Amino acid sequence: MASSNQNPNRSDIREKLRKKRRALQDTLGGNKREDDSQALVPSTKLSERKQRAAMKEPQSSEEDPGEMLKRSVRAQRQKKGLHGRSSAQDDDDDDVEEISTIQHRGEDEGSAEKAADPVVLSRPPTGSLSGVSSRITQTPDSHLDSLVTRRLEERLRAARSKGESLQQQEASLEPASRLQSLRDRDTVTRFDREVGPDRAGRHEEPLALSSRAKFRGAARRTEKDVPTAEEAYNFFTLDFEPDPRDGTEKKSKKRDKPRRTAEEDREEEEAEEDIQDEYEDQNEEAPLVRDEEDNLFVIEQSTQDFLEVKKAEYVGYRQLVQQDSELLFTPSFRTAPTSIKLPENMKPRYLEDEGLYVGERPPVSPINENILENRILKMEEGKKWFGDDGRIVALPDPIKESSTRPPLFHMEEDLDPALQPVYRKALKSKNANLYIAGAADPEGDYQLDVDVSGLIFSHHPLFSREHVLGARLAQLYDQYLTRQGNNLTGHLTDKLNGLRSALRNILEIHGGESLTQAMQQRISEYSLEVRNTRQLRDSEQEKDRTLLKNIVKVWKEMKALRNFQKFTNTPYKLYLRRENVDRASDEREHEDEILTEVMELEAEMEEVYQRELAEYRKQLQEWKLWRRKQKAKKKKRKKKKKGQAQDDTEEDEDEEQEASESEGPAEEDPLKPEPPEKPELDSVEQRVREKASRIRRQPGESILIPDLSASGNITATELCPRSETARREDVSRRSLFIKILYNNKEVSRTDGRCLNADFRAHFGQIFYLKILNCPQSINLQVFEEVGSSCSLLAQVFLPVPEPSVVTGIVPIEEYEFSSNQRVMFDHEGVGSDVPISFEADGGNKQTLLTSGKLSCCVCWGSGEDGVPLAPPASQHPGGVHSGLGRLDAVTFIGASGLYDMKKIGEWATQSRLDPNDPKNASIMQLLKVASSGEVTAPDYFRLEQLQEEFNFATDEEVDRSKRFRLLRLRNQGVAEFQSYKFVPALEREVTDKVFQEYEKRLKEGEIVDTTEHLDPHRALVAKHLQRIRESAMNRSVLAKHHFVLCDLVKEEEIPSIGFLGMNLFKLAQPKRPLKPQKKERKKVAAQNLSDGDIKLLVNIVRAFYIPVRRPQTNKPGQSQSATQGSGWLISQVQVRPFVEVSFQRTVLQTTTADGPNPCWNEELQLPFSAPNGNYSAAALQSVKDEVFINIFDEVVYETGSNDRDRGTSTHTRVEKHWLGSVKIPFSAVYSQSRIDGTFKVNTPAVLLGYSKDRSHGADGGYDTLRSMSEGAFVTLFITIEPQLVPGKSVREKFDSQEDERLLQASERFEREAARGHPDRRCITTVIDLNGKTVFVTRYIRPLNPPQELLDAFLDNSQDAAALVARFVSLVPSLPDRVSFSGACGLWSTCDQFLTLLAGDEEEHAVLLCNYFLSMGKKAWLIIGTAIPEGPTAYVLTLEQNCYLIWNPSSGQYYGQHDTFCPLQVVGCLVNADNVWFNVQKYTSPMSMSFDTTKARLWKPFFSRSFSHPGLSSVQPEELVYRRTDKAAAAELRDRIEKILKEKIMEWRPRHPTRWNRYCTTTLKQFLPKLEQSGGRDVAEGQRHELQSMLGDNRISGFPLHLPFSEVRPIVEAVYSTGVHNVHAANVEFALAVYVHPYPNNVLSVWVYLASLVRS
Amino acid sequence: MAELHIIGQIVGATGFPQNSLFCKWGVHTGGAWRLLSGLKEGQTQVDVPQTGDTAYWSHPIDLHYATKGLQGWPKLHLQVWHQDSFGRCELYGYGYCHVPSSPGHHRINCGTWRPLGSWQERLAQTFVGGGPQLRSPDLIYSGADRYRLHTEAMGTVELELGIVMRHLDKYGVES
Repeated sequence: MASSNQNPNRSDIREKLRKKRRALQDTLGGNKREDDSQALVPSTKLSERKQRAAMKEPQSSEEDPGEMLKRSVRAQRQKKGLHGRSSAQDDDDDDVEEISTIQHRGEDEGSAEKAADPVVLSRPPTGSLSGVSSRITQTPDSHLDSLVTRRLEERLRAARSKGESLQQQEASLEPASRLQSLRDRDTVTRFDREVGPDRAGRHEEPLALSSRAKFRGAARRTEKDVPTAEEAYNFFTLDFEPDPRDGTEKKSKKRDKPRRTAEEDREEEEAEEDIQDEYEDQNEEAPLVRDEEDNLFVIEQSTQDFLEVKKAEYVGYRQLVQQDSELLFTPSFRTAPTSIKLPENMKPRYLEDEGLYVGERPPVSPINENILENRILKMEEGKKWFGDDGRIVALPDPIKESSTRPPLFHMEEDLDPALQPVYRKALKSKNANLYIAGAADPEGDYQLDVDVSGLIFSHHPLFSREHVLGARLAQLYDQYLTRQGNNLTGHLTDKLNGLRSALRNILEIHGGESLTQAMQQRISEYSLEVRNTRQLRDSEQEKDRTLLKNIVKVWKEMKALRNFQKFTNTPYKLYLRRENVDRASDEREHEDEILTEVMELEAEMEEVYQRELAEYRKQLQEWKLWRRKQKAKKKKRKKKKKGQAQDDTEEDEDEEQEASESEGPAEEDPLKPEPPEKPELDSVEQRVREKASRIRRQPGESILIPDLSASGNITATELCPRSETARREDVSRRSLFIKILYNNKEVSRTDGRCLNADFRAHFGQIFYLKILNCPQSINLQVFEEVGSSCSLLAQVFLPVPEPSVVTGIVPIEEYEFSSNQRVMFDHEGVGSDVPISFEADGGNKQTLLTSGKLSCCVCWGSGEDGVPLAPPASQHPGGVHSGLGRLDAVTFIGASGLYDMKKIGEWATQSRLDPNDPKNASIMQLLKVASSGEVTAPDYFRLEQLQEEFNFATDEEVDRSKRFRLLRLRNQGVAEFQSYKFVPALEREVTDKVFQEYEKRLKEGEIVDTTEHLDPHRALVAKHLQRIRESAMNRSVLAKHHFVLCDLVKEEEIPSIGFLGMNLFKLAQPKRPLKPQKKERKKVAAQNLSDGDIKLLVNIVRAFYIPVRRPQTNKPGQSQSATQGSGWLISQVQVRPFVEVSFQRTVLQTTTADGPNPCWNEELQLPFSAPNGNYSAAALQSVKDEVFINIFDEVVYETGSNDRDRGTSTHTRVEKHWLGSVKIPFSAVYSQSRIDGTFKVNTPAVLLGYSKDRSHGADGGYDTLRSMSEGAFVTLFITIEPQLVPGKSVREKFDSQEDERLLQASERFEREAARGHPDRRCITTVIDLNGKTVFVTRYIRPLNPPQELLDAFLDNSQDAAALVARFVSLVPSLPDRVSFSGACGLWSTCDQFLTLLAGDEEEHAVLLCNYFLSMGKKAWLIIGTAIPEGPTAYVLTLEQNCYLIWNPSSGQYYGQHDTFCPLQVVGCLVNADNVWFNVQKYTSPMSMSFDTTKARLWKPFFSRSFSHPGLSSVQPEELVYRRTDKAAAAELRDRIEKILKEKIMEWRPRHPTRWNRYCTTTLKQFLPKLEQSGGRDVAEGQRHELQSMLGDNRISGFPLHLPFSEVRPIVEAVYSTGVHNVHAANVEFALAVYVHPYPNNVLSVWVYLASLVRS
Repeated sequence: MAELHIIGQIVGATGFPQNSLFCKWGVHTGGAWRLLSGLKEGQTQVDVPQTGDTAYWSHPIDLHYATKGLQGWPKLHLQVWHQDSFGRCELYGYGYCHVPSSPGHHRINCGTWRPLGSWQERLAQTFVGGGPQLRSPDLIYSGADRYRLHTEAMGTVELELGIVMRHLDKYGVES
């Protein structure tokens, strides 16, 4: 039956139901026996259930039901026994059957219900039925229940007493059924199906089938139900308690649910019945199974018993739908009636009808709304979603009908230009951009449009006379036309008439009555105005008149000329139109005019007279008063004189003074004022008439209107005389073009246009200039081309347009130009700048200059979108490294049109603008509007509103803060604060002292400090240099910011394969410890350095020819040769020299070696600290410290050892005697990174106690060996550890006045030189002190040396040359690199150099070279490299077939083949005519030729292909020298002496310093001699002299010689000699200073130092 | 005379179409502010990351301001640029953020945008690079009516700023 249910065929259902009903009827009625058994079992079950249900109630009849159950069970068993052979099976069957019955019954009832369903829907169908049946079975239950419980109790006890195993057995079986039933739940359908035939079999079929099912069931049970002991236990133990029962009931209910849902709708009662059935099942099963354990045989099992073939399951669609419909709720889409939606007894209320505003509901389709409503209604509290009107509550529709956002049309022109993005191409940023205007936007391209439209000559050399007149005529006519257009005369006349009538009106209205003050003032104002206007009008009229006259006159002249020369050149024709006028009215007007004027004049004169009269009266009165006073005074004085004849003289003097004072003005005003003259009124009229006839048309005269036309014929060339033909040919040969120069660079030029006969040229070309640089000048040059040569006619400078001036809005303007070129022709052309005359007699000459008008315009180009391609108006020329641009606040707001209304108004009233003038209309309009208050322009503009109100502090407070100031100054890099590491955190910790120095410096910008310089002139120079330095620094600031990659990124090179291979190869190489390999040192950028990181390494290798000690001889007469000859000198210690290196006050020394040619080979490390701890390249470059390398002789004296120790110990005292020094500036070391070579030791001219024994008699001429023989030499190697990167000198583009071609050529020359020979220096252009690039040859020019130097050696030119060199070397040296921080070498001219008295090697060399040239020598400037200076300049002279190389800063000279010549590399030679670059194989002067004529060896700059353009010199023609000032020199000498003495005493703080006066005076006498001898050793005699004088004093000393710049270097030099270090007790010192003045304040300073020890 | 230190770094940028980027930055303040030390604008290096989307600059920012009022609190504006394989630079985004007003360490992500050109321009941009830029970059932080501007969103720039305040509490500014 169940299967029939599953039949999807719906039509069968009816039939099936019918069948079911029949079957039901059968079971109910027909099948009695079954009914019995069935009735019995359910009844027991029921009873039991009932009993359980009643458990809560008092258990009155507890026993009975238990026994009943027992009995029933027994009965059942019997019954089963009756059933025949398989009771156990039956049992199982029963079990199954029970389930099936449940099913069955359910089915039945369901079907019954179904069957009844159509009939009665509301009535619960089977409830009553089952209820009836249960009631029937109820009665025997009471005792049955009790029976069951008892029985169970017993069993429980038994079970408990029994072992676990039994319990388990029981349990395993007992709950099995229950569990099974639970488990079988899901397989209900199977049972359904199975039971169907089963049941059928029970009724109709044999039992075979059912038995199989039994087997299976048993097997399953055994299989499955093993482990549930606990459950079983629970079942038995807890069964009787109420709570678990509830639980089970609930459980069963739950269990039921699926089934219920699977079946048809069923009422609850039915479900209850189901449950009852279930329990019956269980209760019944339990004992059965247990009892029949033994009967359970499962022997004959076959696979068939376990397997079963099943159909594929299929759930029919209909069923699915049914199932779905049970699970799902589908709300209806019909309109839900309002009544449901509202709370009960409520009528829908329509707010809209009541007049309240109800917003429009958002549109929802009605179906959707219905569905929603129906769904909501199903929900709990669904009604709360409905409003009073029965509709779902809804907010008004939020969607606005129209868009509230402004529409976004893509209107480019409408968009604020600031908002418009610009499409910019992705472009490589050029470095050049750093220097241009638009730093903010690197791709900002600005375009300048230059429109050159045409050219008209107002005079041209090729003008014929007629042209001249024609041009004049045209000009006058033009003037006439413009005047006519302006019509000033008419205008002024109108104004005058208006004023007059106004004045008349006033006077008439008030007709002589007493006028108010205001009225009077107005009248006077009016009359003043009338007068002014009249004067203006008169002058204008006069101008008109003369213009007309001139036109006529010129025209007449022209006509005459045409007649005279019999041909016509110009097409001009002048017509004079006459306009006749009515004579009578004209005359009347004229007369009126004159009369009014006369009247006015008379009135004015009267007025003037009255005023003067008043003035006169006043003056007269004053005069009279004064007279009276004067008289009174005189009387008084007389009286006084009488009264106190010889009284206080002072008082008298006072009195006299007073008198003279009072007489002072008396002299001025003694005249009696003259009364003014009465004006002659009668002459006025005559004058007016005269004037009128002069400036005005005569009455009745017709008005002449000139009319110039260019319609005349020009005589054909054939008909002209020869000179005119020549002129015309000349004209036709010429053509014009215009060059456009932007910032003085030619950027474009127009096409050439032929010069027309009318001297006009039309170009009509527009040039678009894409510019990068700020526009500074735009220049149009008019060129005239004759054949192939062209000449510059004139230049027109155009103003740079405002950024707002854009193409299209600017009219073409005419710019006049003229040139003063003098041109003369032999033909008719009048020429230019040549006097010509138009009169027959040649009088009245005129000089005409070429002139004309160029019509053109310059404006900024506009982009595609009309935006001007102009740079922003305000530009910061300094390339601020700005990532983001700035914007002017005012322009940003767009208030570009803010004018100061007040000022305009003031100006308008002051200038008495004529309101009637149409030209002023716009201004008057503006003023009217402004004054009416419609436009109120505030007189201030506020950027940050409310700023003031919310400030915590004022600006002053912020400014006052010292801490902030310190921080800011440090940030700005002000020298004093640059290295200020820690700024205090508290205001009070910043002392005022910090700023003192800085403020002092600021204040003393102009004040010259003379204490340091001892000489006001030097101080001035120092200031000047300081200023130049600052400006040069500023100039190079821009370039310094320009970093390249290697400045910022330190990248280790990745070893290449080749490199690695080499390394591997090296491993295999034999080790050669004696041949060390060179290793490149790492370069360290300056920024990551700190104090103590840098060391100066000085390697002293060896020295040569060190002076040796002279044996102590007390006899001065002993001959030198004797000592030399004796030979013991060799055996004795000649000298024990050691070297002391001092740098930045650190002193280190080598060990002591022996002999005059010692070898030390020692390395000394000196720490270096930069000033202020600033290790930037710029700071390092400007370090002025020098490395002093002093050579000393260590002298050991045995002191008189005291008697006690005699024999055991000797006391010695070590003294060091200075022998010479080398000084190398740190900047040289820094810039060259190492200094390596042999240097001449700067030995003093006289070394007392020592002899330079290598004296080869250097007698005559320039002995090349002489310089070699002189002095000692030391071999050094100096470097800095770690190696620093020297700051690169920036080659910046500077302005230049040189020709562009020359500059390009020089650039090319230098480039080629650098490419071919990178180590050789090549200089063609240098930068002068104004920062302009100048070609180097301009510096060379013969200049006169001071005459007194030449006079000194008139006969000996060599000595004179040496003296001159000495003079030059005495000018103090100041390396550029120090002063200008490596920016670039600046060259000053010789006069500048001599004024500044400071310069580097180049300036010295230039001066020396110029001197030599003027002395008639052949001299060149050598640009090269020397040690230790590095890049430097020397002078080369040619003397008697041998070349000499002069070191200009030391005054030394060397032969070409001198091995010790410091010049190492010769780069190029320069003289006034040319520059030669060294292209020889060698660079050393020793091995090269100086013959510049050989182009193979020397590459000339100016050659045949590029000839010398005749560069003028930048040097002055002559140098003027100031005379030497001996007094100043003496003063300076004293001061130096004093300072040095103080210093020496200061350096010996623990020892007394005694001065030997006698020695000092002697030394003083020596010094001038030394100066005269030029420092050469002439002092042999002196030494003896000294020795004899001082007797047994051991003397050691030397003269120092220095050029004078400041005191500091002198002190430094004295310190470095270490003379003060002699600590012997009986030492005495001698110090003599001599200052020798040379012309122009060049001073040579000698310091003679000696120490005397009494032996 | 309160003081404000802004110490930190521009860490990097992420989310841009290409990752070889650099950044121009600047700090804009009102008139009451005075720069005591430090650079108030600059440009980072170009970072070309080998992997990943983020370009790291780690560009230091160190500013010290003194102020006499709160108005015009410093704001940071940024421009992110892209350098392509040809070395050409094109704008990738404008960004702007306020400097935090509370002391301490802050991580700031600054979103960027760039103007969108017409379709022709966009086409050109795809093939030849470049792109529309603002005429005046001040628009980044000044509030003109920018809604007219068509822009597209670009990546974000990450900043780390440490804010140190001094004496602001003296004037009643609590932080």
